[in-house]
Amino acid sequence: MATDNTQPGQDAAIVFEPKQSRSAPVASVGVIGWLRENLFYSWFSTIVTVVVAWGMFEGAAYLYDWGVTKAVFEAESRRQCLNTSPDGACWAGIIDWMNGFMYGRYPDEEQWRINLGGVLLIAWVLPFWLPNLKGKIGIGMSAVMVYPFLAAYLFLGGERGVFLNLMVFLAITLLVLNWVHVVLFYLTGRTLTENLVRMTGFEHRPETTHKYPMLALVAVVWGCVYAWLGDWQLELVRTNLWGGLFLTIVIAGVAIVSALPGGVALALARRSTMPVIRVFAITFIELFRSVPLITVLFMAVTMMPLFLPEDFQLNKLVQVMIGVCLFAAAYMAEVVRGGLQAIPNGQYEAAKAMGLSYWKMMNLVILPQALKLMIPNIVGNFMGLLKDTTLVSIIGLYDMLNMLKAVGQNPIWIGLHKEPLVFGAAIYFVLCFAMSKYSQRLERTIGQGNTGR
Amino acid sequence: MAVVFDEGAPTQSRSTFARIVNDETNRSVFYQIVVFGLIAWVAWYLFTNTAHNLETRGMSSGFGFLGSTAGFSIAWTVIPYEPTNSYGYVFLVGIVNTLVVSLTAIVFTTILGFFIGVFRLSRNWLVATLASWYVEIIRNTPLLLQILFWYTAVFSLLPRPKQSIEILGMFPLNNRGFYYPAPVPGDGFWMTMLAIVVGIVLAYVIAVRAKRKQIATGERSAVALPVLGAVIGLPVVVYLVTGQPLAWDQPELKGFNFVGGGSVPPAFCALFLALVIYHAAYIAENVRAGIMSVTKGQTEAAYSLGLRPSWTMRLVIIPQAMRAIIPPLISTWMTVVKNSSLAVAIGYPDVVAVFMQTSLNQSGHAIEIVAMVMLFYSVVSLTISAALNYYNKLIQLKER
Repeated sequence: MATDNTQPGQDAAIVFEPKQSRSAPVASVGVIGWLRENLFYSWFSTIVTVVVAWGMFEGAAYLYDWGVTKAVFEAESRRQCLNTSPDGACWAGIIDWMNGFMYGRYPDEEQWRINLGGVLLIAWVLPFWLPNLKGKIGIGMSAVMVYPFLAAYLFLGGERGVFLNLMVFLAITLLVLNWVHVVLFYLTGRTLTENLVRMTGFEHRPETTHKYPMLALVAVVWGCVYAWLGDWQLELVRTNLWGGLFLTIVIAGVAIVSALPGGVALALARRSTMPVIRVFAITFIELFRSVPLITVLFMAVTMMPLFLPEDFQLNKLVQVMIGVCLFAAAYMAEVVRGGLQAIPNGQYEAAKAMGLSYWKMMNLVILPQALKLMIPNIVGNFMGLLKDTTLVSIIGLYDMLNMLKAVGQNPIWIGLHKEPLVFGAAIYFVLCFAMSKYSQRLERTIGQGNTGR
Repeated sequence: MAVVFDEGAPTQSRSTFARIVNDETNRSVFYQIVVFGLIAWVAWYLFTNTAHNLETRGMSSGFGFLGSTAGFSIAWTVIPYEPTNSYGYVFLVGIVNTLVVSLTAIVFTTILGFFIGVFRLSRNWLVATLASWYVEIIRNTPLLLQILFWYTAVFSLLPRPKQSIEILGMFPLNNRGFYYPAPVPGDGFWMTMLAIVVGIVLAYVIAVRAKRKQIATGERSAVALPVLGAVIGLPVVVYLVTGQPLAWDQPELKGFNFVGGGSVPPAFCALFLALVIYHAAYIAENVRAGIMSVTKGQTEAAYSLGLRPSWTMRLVIIPQAMRAIIPPLISTWMTVVKNSSLAVAIGYPDVVAVFMQTSLNQSGHAIEIVAMVMLFYSVVSLTISAALNYYNKLIQLKER
């Protein structure tokens, strides 16, 4: 037993002292570790990294030289640009034409109307980003239903008919009330309708009558707005003067706003059990999806004058908008259909078992889930639409792309092609990239909502 | 607490009228009649308007104009064309031009797209980042803008023929277009062509037999070398034995321009390049998503079975990734055909440019021409989607 080292009596005396663990080799942690892991993990990857890095550096240096150090920012004409610096970009032409890129040939003294329209749109949709606000659906509905009329009048001007009078003042009324609602909500924690019901003592009456105070308020405010702005009139600016980024956004906006309801309707029709409706929807969707947008636009401008009565002819912008809307609806229909198909049958059955009618089932159960599921695709579709609006330049509308092209044909800036297109690409890139990043964020926040169930 | 269902339970108490109105079949028939009536009314309305408008403008309708002489020249055609040809022939010329640019673009965009998709998944951070920049920048700018950029800012600014850029020493590129040596088949060249066909058939037979053997015995036989030998070796041998009966017509600079060989105009180059670059970004995303859709467990399972990394890739990962890649890939091909119609913006004579624009402006037969062009695109896309459906059926997972 004496030779045995593990005697019971000695156990207590052994103290386990952990050795300080060696730190990881310098070459595998930190910046060096990252470099070795991701850039120089084999002899081949090292070569690739060096070659690619060199190429990127050369390219970036060339672009920087061309676009910044050698570029000309102040010049009277392209000739002067070339004389100053032949290898640099001639940004002076872009700066000179900036107004045209943004507004087209819209008269200078009337451009505040476009800016005002943009500001109003922002004022309209701003409440969406306010936290914990109730009644966002109402605000959204008012933005989609009445803002377009106000914007259309702002941009176009001229005489107002009875209907347009009604809608324009209704739009102003609702904008005011939206913000009253927002302020009241944060002050009292109740919506505008609830506050009204309390103030007028309607809370003891049946719930179906609670909307009357609100309707009365709308009527009163509408009357006030009418009294205030009744003889307000703007100068007519014909649509052939519309152009630039403004026109691009108008066309894309109309298409986007109409695509969603149109797409939902077509998708539901396509999944309907009624053969006539289904066949019609399939024919429409497949026809518009199988032909290029440019043929639809050509059809709109060449065939629509034949289709409509002689004394009722639409201008080119409206023709193009109709074409783009039909096209957009067909594409959106397939996106929505994808969402509908992804909803498990149990949801439909459960909704029917609850005794919901078809439309209630769709509006309350199926569509909210389907559209949520499809947000990335819907936004992708919107991006595609924004890019596709460039095609109207082929038809002869002065959208942003056509204005960019026009610079190089202008006698002063003749031959200036590269810079406007690079500038336009940057603008489209910013718009589309922002949309896609926003949709990714939206997807994440909505996804969180689902997992938290 | 007794629950009383008193509403709607006894059907007898309802009137016959209510029963008929609430019957689902009756309602559905009613709605369909309404919708059908509405569509028919709209169609009738448009038709009468059109007939009236055509009459007041003194325009004829019908497809008779297809036989009359077109009278305009087309800048570049694949099949021979003279201004004395008819409108019907112009339609055909346009279709061939559209298909030629689309098909060449499809081949190259698929190759480029696969490379970029694989680069995006590269372990090398720099390569992956560069590829993702490419995809983001290209996908977020409009195709038409890119086409115009290539056309106005690159291909129109190339030097004159005298100072042509010689690509690889044999492909002159200048502001008149891109030139390439054209093959001129000699006497007996048909034997080489025959050898190519025989080689392909032979390769197919070898592959099928190898597959059968693998299914029966589990042994994999070396097919790469025999297949290469059949497809490339056989034609080369025949070509050499028959005395190299193929001459190359090299483009030569004569005076102010190149003569001989084949050439494509700058508009073709710009359209082709823009289509390739634009759609490669989309294909790259498909490829990336397809490869990522194969779970890591598949790789691990293959390794634990003792498969080499190269075999794992070829026998396990790629076949499964292809299932996810091919359907969106085919839709992208369809998009290429449709987007080639943007040629009209830079004057490449595709079907939209020569038929829907020039011919329509000249003859004024809007309805017939629009219908014909739309029919062409519909036929192309229906064909492609039929192929896609067939493929989907073929590869569907055989689930138990």
